[in-house]
Amino acid sequence: MRNGDAMYILPNPSHPQPGMCARPAAAVQMWGHPLRLRKPLKRVGQRGEGKFQEVDWDTALNEAAAKLKEVADRYGPQAIAFTRHDHLSWHLPLIASLMGTPNVIGHEGTCHDASTAARQAVLGAGGPPAVDPDYANLNYLILVGRNLDAAMGSVRALARAREAGAKIVVVDPRAPNIAFSSVEWIPIVPGTDAAFLLSMINVIIGEGLYDAAFLKGYTNAPMLIKPDGSPLTQSDLGQQGSAYLVFDAAANGVKPLGSAADPALDYEGDVETPSGSVHVKTAFRLLAERAAKYPPDKAVQITGVPADTITRIAREFATRRGVVEDGWYAAKNGNEFDVYRSILILNALVGNIDKRGGLCFQEPAKFPNSCTPGADRIDTILGASLPPLKAKRVDLLKYPLAVSSFDALLDAVLTGQPYPIKALIIVGTAPFHRDVNTGKLKEALRRLDLVITIDIFPQDHVDWSDYVFPDLMFLERSEVSSAPWTLDAAVVYSNKVLDPPPGVDARHALWTLLELVRRAWPDKAALIGYTDKYADYSQFEQYEDLMFGKILDYLSKAWNISREELEAALKTRGFYLLKKKSYGAKPYKSKLSTPTGLVEIYSLTALKYGLDPLPDWTPPPAYSQPKAPNEFYLVTGKDQNVSGHFVFTYDSKYLTDRCVWMNPADAERLGVGDGDIVTLEGIDNGFTAKACVKVTNRVRPGVLFTYAFAGGHASALVDGGYDFLRSGVNPQWFAKGYVAPVIGTAGTNSAVRVRL
Amino acid sequence: MTRLAFLWDQSRCISCGACIAACNAANYGSSTAPNVSWNWLRTNIRRIELSNGPRPMLYLLQCQHCENPPCVAVCPTGASYRDRDGLVKINYDLCIGCRYCMVACPYDARWFNESMWAPVKCMGEECQARIAKGEQPVCVVVCPAGARDFGDLDDPSSSISRRLAESRYVKLLDNMGTRPKYFVVVGP
Repeated sequence: MRNGDAMYILPNPSHPQPGMCARPAAAVQMWGHPLRLRKPLKRVGQRGEGKFQEVDWDTALNEAAAKLKEVADRYGPQAIAFTRHDHLSWHLPLIASLMGTPNVIGHEGTCHDASTAARQAVLGAGGPPAVDPDYANLNYLILVGRNLDAAMGSVRALARAREAGAKIVVVDPRAPNIAFSSVEWIPIVPGTDAAFLLSMINVIIGEGLYDAAFLKGYTNAPMLIKPDGSPLTQSDLGQQGSAYLVFDAAANGVKPLGSAADPALDYEGDVETPSGSVHVKTAFRLLAERAAKYPPDKAVQITGVPADTITRIAREFATRRGVVEDGWYAAKNGNEFDVYRSILILNALVGNIDKRGGLCFQEPAKFPNSCTPGADRIDTILGASLPPLKAKRVDLLKYPLAVSSFDALLDAVLTGQPYPIKALIIVGTAPFHRDVNTGKLKEALRRLDLVITIDIFPQDHVDWSDYVFPDLMFLERSEVSSAPWTLDAAVVYSNKVLDPPPGVDARHALWTLLELVRRAWPDKAALIGYTDKYADYSQFEQYEDLMFGKILDYLSKAWNISREELEAALKTRGFYLLKKKSYGAKPYKSKLSTPTGLVEIYSLTALKYGLDPLPDWTPPPAYSQPKAPNEFYLVTGKDQNVSGHFVFTYDSKYLTDRCVWMNPADAERLGVGDGDIVTLEGIDNGFTAKACVKVTNRVRPGVLFTYAFAGGHASALVDGGYDFLRSGVNPQWFAKGYVAPVIGTAGTNSAVRVRL
Repeated sequence: MTRLAFLWDQSRCISCGACIAACNAANYGSSTAPNVSWNWLRTNIRRIELSNGPRPMLYLLQCQHCENPPCVAVCPTGASYRDRDGLVKINYDLCIGCRYCMVACPYDARWFNESMWAPVKCMGEECQARIAKGEQPVCVVVCPAGARDFGDLDDPSSSISRRLAESRYVKLLDNMGTRPKYFVVVGP
């Protein structure tokens, strides 16, 4: 909205994911922010000092491109790596493929890595948007360690369910913002979610509250498992074929999975094989035995949640056919793979998968990729094909079930294994606030041959960069994508509404990256039609239009819709609805992409990678257990008033506190008052820093909480009235740097000692 | 008669800050000047957390558009007045910046705007312009949780009247005789 010179942002209520929170509401402050990166910068001091000179775009791009080429020529193109958050995540694979490197390594290792690995293992589904609760229609929602996002529409959808009387349960050591509303908040001991959830499973199975028909028909719960943990197959019986087997109660004998008239759920027995008798149990019975380790009266000792609360929540959840949210920004304690598998199993136990008000699969929007790797070539959205990449991503070589593990990239920088990484391009993300192991990050940034940053604000790593390129913020560029946070299939488009403010010579990050490619490898850029002509930045919108046109072509063909209608709708309304959610598709009418095609209560993917096929609770490996009276868990997280960029705004000075939350009982015991300054000492790494205490009932006794991304900003470029960015602590300073094997999820929580 | 009023649903509010920031953006041009009176940003909505009780509690405080407003009673120039639409407003042609109104308000709902050298409060200029056009104030439009409403109490078909009819609600400091029209819904 415009009111003379003033501007403000309102949500689009008809949008498929209509939303708002403080962050977009304050976007105009972000646009005209005095700390915005204004000109390309070239480092003149040591890495980490934050000493720069402003240089013109040509000089910066030519020098950076020459250095990139030098790295590629000397070590091979795979020595170039990118890290990103979500900005440009659609384009970066194309840029990297042009350069010849597979190494686009995102933020997921400290975000949704574990929940995505769990969705993959149990549901054969991908990242967070692939599966989501049907917020608008649910009846009972359990949020485990999750603060719901308001800007992305979930809260507005949930408001409809709340109107109709839905209950919300929040399981979290700290009360996220949503716990101010009428919810039941269960302040659990950090790192014990899996024990709580397995205890719920114990109650639901013990009291027979599960949906047996769903488990028999659409999950691998009836699958027979041998004592070594592997499933019984036809070949074990000396038969033709390799089908998994179940016990058919109707036939009183084993049958291939999916062909029994009445597959037994809770069964064990002996099966005769050519090599002797084998004692088998159903996956369901193994799950029941596993959950039996955590009856509510034992789980209370681990979780701190009263036994009758666990029992009551389990009964309410099962009888009201609830849904447990399937996880997003959740890399906290290192044991989250088990948490999210338990969550998905709970949803399956009550049969609430892909039903109205249940945990649902998103309708795919069939949105194209910027490039698609094939066996002998990479196809691009622009038509031309590129040669295939030779190397495999450094992080996936170490963590095969990860989405991304930035820590593995640091290892490659520091050890040269599995192969050296020499250049890092950091696009719109904040590694120091995002990732565990600050010391290792600094050492890696020191050792790299080249560090390039593209951003709008001076995040800490800017000080460690050789070249810094100022980027556009979202109001200054047009953007098209599939609509991630709705169950419907939709495409969304945001129109460019502003130019950068006077004095800010920022340019589209995609242009910066394509210019780096063109200046280093003009022939490669030419393959996708990116020619010298676009060196003139004023011509770049034509190239954006070209790409946009290719996306429109693809979608109009994929959906058989008019290209003109699609384009007009996107540009005027900001979205195009392709298909409304229809329930009951997966796993009822079509198979899942799990090894069995079913919901895998017993995960064959986990088994394949040497992990426990069933979830269990393990004490959090990410930090030492606090023991002494002045030792605490330090829990971290976000909320609607925190993001890597929003925290720079003036509004954030007041809307985002940069204190460390302490329960009133702990404060009284230690003699700490609200606003007092204390010293925090990392129990695992000895790091110390001062922090302001906020005494609040929003955190469980024995636990401290502080927002991620908000406090402890350290860039030398932060000045003026924005010193508040330096206050508080960056919780990553205290993190031990634990990364879970195979899954690659890091632990951002830690344990600290409080000194007065 | 018209009696415009605000509803804030405490049982639904998730403290996302959208209303607070949007008020700043729409009514104060995304100002980054301080609000010294409240040690807060330039917005007409304050966030109060009760941190010591049995559970976390939140209040969003703003002008209550009282039917018996103390700020109007004490104003020496008649600048503060209750309009025919039921809203409490300030006529800046008459305001001398004496701040009696700020002191008199039991809700501390006014803050001093140094740029104007005058007290300000809900609703700001842009929101007044919006309601004159038949639109809702920005705080209501941006709320993702459906926790806000605004409208005419004397119109039984208005959204606010219907919501109040089916909700439990409280009025703040009702015992002070201010007859506030900021309804805090605490549940269905």
